[in-house]
Order: sequence, then C-alpha cells, then structure tokens
Amino acid sequence: MSEEPIISVNHLSKHFKVYQKQPGLMGSIVSLWSRSYETIHAVEDISFTIHAGEIVGFIGQNGAGKTTTLKMLSGLLFPSSGSVDVLGFNPWDRKPAYQKQFSLVMGQKNQLWWDLPAMETFLLNQAIYEIPNLEFKQTLNQLIELLDVSSVVNVQVRKLSLGQRMKCELIAALLHKPKVLFLDEPTIGLDVVMQKTLRDFIKEYNQQFNATIILTSHYMGDVKELCKRTIIIDKGKKVFDGALQDIIDKYARNKILSLVFSKPITRKELARFGTITEFSEDGTNDTATIVVPRKESTKIAASIMTKFPVQDVTIEEPPIDAIIREVFKDQNRASQHHEQS
Amino acid sequence: MNKYLALLSISWQNGFAYRASVFLWRFRQLLSSFFSLSIWTILYQNSEASFGYSQSQMISYIFITGIIQNVVITTSLNGLTSTIYSGQLSLLLIKPIGLFKAFAMEETADKAKNLFFALLESCLLFFVFKPQLFSVMPIHFLISIFWIFGGITITFFISLLFGAIGFWSPESWGPRFLFFTFINFLGGKFFPLDILPNLIHQLVWLTPFPFLSYAQSQLLLNRLSSTEIISGCLGLSLWILLLGLATKYFWRVGLKDYAAQGQ
Repeated sequence: MSEEPIISVNHLSKHFKVYQKQPGLMGSIVSLWSRSYETIHAVEDISFTIHAGEIVGFIGQNGAGKTTTLKMLSGLLFPSSGSVDVLGFNPWDRKPAYQKQFSLVMGQKNQLWWDLPAMETFLLNQAIYEIPNLEFKQTLNQLIELLDVSSVVNVQVRKLSLGQRMKCELIAALLHKPKVLFLDEPTIGLDVVMQKTLRDFIKEYNQQFNATIILTSHYMGDVKELCKRTIIIDKGKKVFDGALQDIIDKYARNKILSLVFSKPITRKELARFGTITEFSEDGTNDTATIVVPRKESTKIAASIMTKFPVQDVTIEEPPIDAIIREVFKDQNRASQHHEQS
Repeated sequence: MNKYLALLSISWQNGFAYRASVFLWRFRQLLSSFFSLSIWTILYQNSEASFGYSQSQMISYIFITGIIQNVVITTSLNGLTSTIYSGQLSLLLIKPIGLFKAFAMEETADKAKNLFFALLESCLLFFVFKPQLFSVMPIHFLISIFWIFGGITITFFISLLFGAIGFWSPESWGPRFLFFTFINFLGGKFFPLDILPNLIHQLVWLTPFPFLSYAQSQLLLNRLSSTEIISGCLGLSLWILLLGLATKYFWRVGLKDYAAQGQ
C-alpha cells in the first residue's frame, strides 16, 4: 500500500432542495403558484482517505448518501461544500486525464447500447478511451475469458439475461483498465451463483491490477467477502470507518451455537442456556440453534457439552446483516438521546 | 477509429436496428412531401399564377423546402430532456468525450441519414411533380449552403435548450410542441412566408424560423434582393450568437444543478 492516499475526501457535503407537495388535488392546484421546499442533507461533512489497492465497502440504508458520495467522486455531482481529490484531480473538473483512470458501474444504469450487441459498445469505448488495438484485444479477451461471456458478446444486449448483461457492463467499464473503480450495487438483482461469480471477478481484478475499489451493496455477502475496510454512512454522516472485524467485535453482542444431539433432549432444559431460535426433534439426532451472550459463549458451550449428549457443536458470529442493523439501531438511539438532551 | 467517428458509426447502426421502423419513418416523410406538393398542384389547376408565384415556382419552392427541412429541422435530440432528468446523461459525463461534440455527432449521423433518404425520395417525387429547374447564381448557391449550416446550428442550439429543461423538470413537451407549431407555420414548409400580409412577413424575419428552410429556398429561387441577403446574413449570425450564448449559460447552470437521478 502506498503512503499517499489515492482518494482524499475532506468535509464533503451535498444538499438538495426538494419540493414538498401538499396532499390532495388542492395541494396540486396551490403548487401552481406557491411551493415550499425542504433542504435534504444527502451527505453531511464526510471525510476519509483511501490508499491504492484497497477495496472499501460503503454500507448504509437506502438514502444514506452512499451513491451521492460516489457520484461526487465521479464528478457527476457538484459538492455543496468540502473537497475531493482522486488521483490528484478534482473530479468536478471532468478532465479526460482523470476520466481515463476511473470507472463507475451502476447496477441499475446501462451503458451498453440496448439494440446492438455488447461488442459494439466495447469498440466504441475503445475509441473513446483511445485504447491501442493490441492492448484492447488482449484486455477484452482476458475479461471475456474471466467472465465467460464469449458466446454472448455478439448478441443484441436486450436479449441477454440480467447476469450476462452485468458481466458485459463490467467488461465495458474495465476495458481501459481503470485504476479506481466505483461499483454501485453491482450485484443487485442477480442470483446467488452470479453474485459469487462477480465477487470472485472483482477480487481477481483488484489483485491483478492493484485497483482501488469502492463498493456499495445491500448484500452483506459482497462486503464481507471483498472488503477488509468498511465505511458506514447513516443519514448522510459517517458513523464508522474501519475493519469489518472491528464492527463485529463492537456491535455483535451474541454468538450462535449450532448443536446436534446423539439422544433426544427437551426444549425446556436447553432454554436455560440461551434463546432458542431453532429446535428440531426427529427422534434420533435432535438439532438446535441457540443465541448466547458473546462473552460467555465458550463457557456456555462447555456447560451444554457436559450436561447434554452433544454429538457436534459449532460457534458462529451472527450474520453481518444483523450486526449492521445493530449499528443503525445504536445510531438512532444516540441521535434520539442527543435530541432529548 | 476517432472517438467521434465511432460515435457517428454506432448512431447509424442503432438507427438501422429495426427495418420496419426505418421503412415507416421514411414512408411518413415521403407522404408529408407528397401531400404538400399535391395540394399546391390542385390549387394551381385553374390559374397560372397566384400569391405572386407561378405554379412551377411554387412546386419548386415546396420541393426544395422539403429537402432542406430534412437536413435542417430534423434532430436526434428529442429525448434529451428525459436523458438528463432520468440521469442517463451520467454515462456520457463520466467518459473522456466532449459533451456537445458527442451530441453534434449524433445530430450529424441523423441528418446524414435523413439527407440520404430525402435525396432518394426526391428523385421519385421529381418524376411525379416535375418541378422546374432554375439556374442559380453560384454566389447564391454558396450563401445558401452557409445558411443551411446556420439553420442546422440554430436547430442544434434550440434542441439543446429544450433538452436543458431536463435539469429541472421532466417535461419539455409543452414548449417543444409550441416550437414545432411555429416551425410548421413559420418555417415555410407548407407555404412560402411572403404570401402572408406584409407586416407579419416583416415580423417573421425578426425570428429564427425563416432560417430553418424558407430563407434558403428563396435564395435558391433567386427571390431575395442583395439588401435582403445582407440583412439575412446579419439576422442569422445574431440568432446563432444569441442561442449559442443562451445554450452555454443554461447548460453551465444546469450541470451544476444536475442531480444525476436514479441509482
């Protein structure tokens, strides 16, 4: 990792003025001459730095400000205040030298020409990014092979499946080998197999080209598998910036014990050790899942093993989604407390 | 390939993706020119001359205007408002490509396509209506070419101005509809503007509409005096300047306000 950060964001804010319509027909009529507006603080005083080769996960609920931040880093949105520096450029200047070094992939926006085969968009991007022929062919073949889409690149885009289209979108975005990649919900709507394929590809791309990647996703699996570092945004503000494990350590209050018993046991007896979330009696191998306090998990597991005929036991962290929910609950509690005081 | 030529090429490819759509689009254009020429042929059946035009002059006027309008007022930027409002513009803004140059290439592709078909269709209409061929002074011919480029530039700027509405509102159909109503009436597609009462005719010359085909046709038919040609050159230049400045201003403000809607 180099010493100088590749992305520096300082006290970045973006405010939008949105029209508040009064309900009903009268509200619509009145709005013809009188309108009230509200200022939305989409991003509020966010600062962070990212070094070359890092994959950073951007997590937040809908409307938290993740995509708005990415759009400011790409030069699409003009910040209300603060500054951004990516690869030594101010993104808003929209200099071609900067645009040739980054890519923004939006899971719900299509850069492929809908009525033409994906290959035509690839050729157009070759011309736009001024990629020499030999380099273009090598990169294209490599990406086609990695994503296994050789049979679909000459088929009209509108006839491709969502997964095939997303793969082709990624190829179109990566042909110029960007040093910085902004991925906004790249796996949205994809099935689990395709999600895994894309994750593996992103990991491979990061390692092969030492690319710096910011990823937003609602699928915690994406973040867990790809990002060592996570930035959590809530209501436009940064609430956490650090290793994913740190969030788990800080917010995961429980652990999950999965148990398999060699002889039948009763639910009532087991309930004394924790909260039972699953209990199955099939007469031979009863199974159960219980949630226990994190700090006492080892002790409780040992007690259960001495008191019950345990055939197998595993101790797991709760799902990352549940931990993130805890983070947001904690934030809500903190902001309510702040408002009351 | 140069990036702008590549854009030109892909715009053509995209335009030819659906054969039925191409055929119906040209059939509509042919029918429109055919109706215009038929109406004037019928109107002149019982008289040699009216409205200050002989039958052959009028048919030639409608014929030439039809071809010029195919180049000047056609635009591929009709959907620009929704492209901006929906945030689809973002895909262009993040690429190392000049925004206006990219739009100009799309327009060029569309106009070249229109001109190609218009010339083919004109051959067919020529044999049906037999318009009279007038000898054109070379200087008038040259000036008319400049005026055609001027008209194309005016249409381009007006399309960009309508498109810029998308930075603030999803709907540009109202002003666009008004504009096309003016073009139909004041652009000279259905009748030459000098058949209007003199005062209205003079006022129309103060707007950009005569430069969208009427002025060029009149020049090619040798119906403009030297004074009118000079004032036409000045008027055209002024409109290009005004619309160019307005476009630059609204797009600069619009891009700062751009919300890049959608995910």
